[in-house]
Amino acid sequence: METTRGRAEAAAERGPTDWHSAWRALFWSCAILLAINLFLWIWDYTFAFTVGLNSASHSFTLHYRTLFWGELLSVGIFAGLWYGWLVRTGMPLDRDDIPPAEEVRRIAMLWSIIGATSLSIYIEASFWPNWDGAWHQTMVRDTALTPTHIPMFYFFFPLSVVLALGAYIYGRHRIPAVYAPEKGFPWSFFLLISAAVLEFVQVAFNEWGHSLWLSEEFFSVPFHWPFVAYGWLASGMFAVWGETILRLFQIEKSARGVEEMPVEHTAAAGR
Amino acid sequence: MASISATMAPAERQRRLELRELLNAKYLFIDRTWDAVFWITAIFVVAGAADITKLLFAGDWDFWTDWKDPQWWPVVTAFATIIIPSALQWIQWVAWRFPTGATYTCVCLFLATWIGRYFQWHIAETYPMNFVWPISTVPAAIILDWLLMRTRSFVVTSLFGGPIWAIMVWSFNYIPLAPFLQPVQFMHHILTVSDVQGIAYIRSQTPEYLRHIERGALRSFLGETQYVSLLFGGTLAMLGYWIGQAIGRFLAVWPIGRYIKTI
Repeated sequence: METTRGRAEAAAERGPTDWHSAWRALFWSCAILLAINLFLWIWDYTFAFTVGLNSASHSFTLHYRTLFWGELLSVGIFAGLWYGWLVRTGMPLDRDDIPPAEEVRRIAMLWSIIGATSLSIYIEASFWPNWDGAWHQTMVRDTALTPTHIPMFYFFFPLSVVLALGAYIYGRHRIPAVYAPEKGFPWSFFLLISAAVLEFVQVAFNEWGHSLWLSEEFFSVPFHWPFVAYGWLASGMFAVWGETILRLFQIEKSARGVEEMPVEHTAAAGR
Repeated sequence: MASISATMAPAERQRRLELRELLNAKYLFIDRTWDAVFWITAIFVVAGAADITKLLFAGDWDFWTDWKDPQWWPVVTAFATIIIPSALQWIQWVAWRFPTGATYTCVCLFLATWIGRYFQWHIAETYPMNFVWPISTVPAAIILDWLLMRTRSFVVTSLFGGPIWAIMVWSFNYIPLAPFLQPVQFMHHILTVSDVQGIAYIRSQTPEYLRHIERGALRSFLGETQYVSLLFGGTLAMLGYWIGQAIGRFLAVWPIGRYIKTI
């Protein structure tokens, strides 16, 4: 992933929004996410009925508890490596004199991370909950770590937290015009990160509710509703897009030396 | 594009000249790629938000043909499915004057639910699609967007759109449901085809005492309880519309350029 100004300037022949610049991060990150999702789906398709029905069996431990720990470890290791790299390479960057093309490229890179976050949220909020409903409305659960819970709650839920927070860390160091720490913490990312974190916390409440109140899988039961409310907070993603669009128009204006820019088309009409 | 004539009012002429200049402007860094990336990546988060809202508010009724009853289904489905389309109506109308928010959401939702239903319910759990087919809200969304375009008022759209939404969602999905409401004789009882499906496909974790379908009688309406349910569904859809408006206004647009200074 290109991040330093030096590498960007070395590739000055490419425009900031060309394929080889920033958008390829979007396609590759989404491709990797889909590949992981396909792997987990095939894993469940292969083993859910054969070894996933009895959580006390050795084969369940071998196939599902190892998957559970593998998922948590992989997400944790990815987060540690990625955040460390973002901070280590981001802190030395000059914040005052960013060339317009470089800043546009960084906004495109941020949109790539946000796009991957969007895909992760879809996978956690729609793709896997469908199998969760199908599985749990059919099978009697004997554990919270069921074959459908493990990929959903313990991979894609924490991954969405990691991606949302990583997007903010990227913006904080590399797009200071919008996300410099001196401005405060942006409400857009506060809502987006809160959505992902609260969804993960809700997992615990969900299982407590199934243990204490209702072991059956009635999808519309009230202790599922916080999943919905916390998911609505992900609307902050639109605010990230909106404020970076406004910054794009500011960059355009300063680069062209235009005094006035028409603003009817901007996304700030709500203010 | 609308023409610009010398007979126009000066203010209107100036506005159209500015818009034409904006349309024909040669941007240094902004191209159509940004539009495509925005609208395509938004598909996922919009589909996810719309699907989880429908799943956890009205999912049980959407999963099974035998749950699509005249009592609960028209009420909960109308409420659950209007929320996110309303939010996108606000976002797309305010930002771009596009009367497409509800349709965009419902098309995204349609794709997401069919992917989920086909791969997770049919392939993975071997339920037949004619038992677990999901509803479509796209026709109702087109009408809701048309209402906004014609009235240019969110208040009027909610007042008329709520009840129309409830009726349209039920009507358009009653068409595929009708074959499953045909009477059959099964084990010396008169049931519907969907009831037989529900008996044939074992659902251990949704026993009969759990199923919120067809409780009560209300036979004073000659058994046609769905019309009363549609009325309640319409009023709930109005409420759902304004919940969606709050999401669009305060969670999607208000935070733009705003920062938390102190904790």
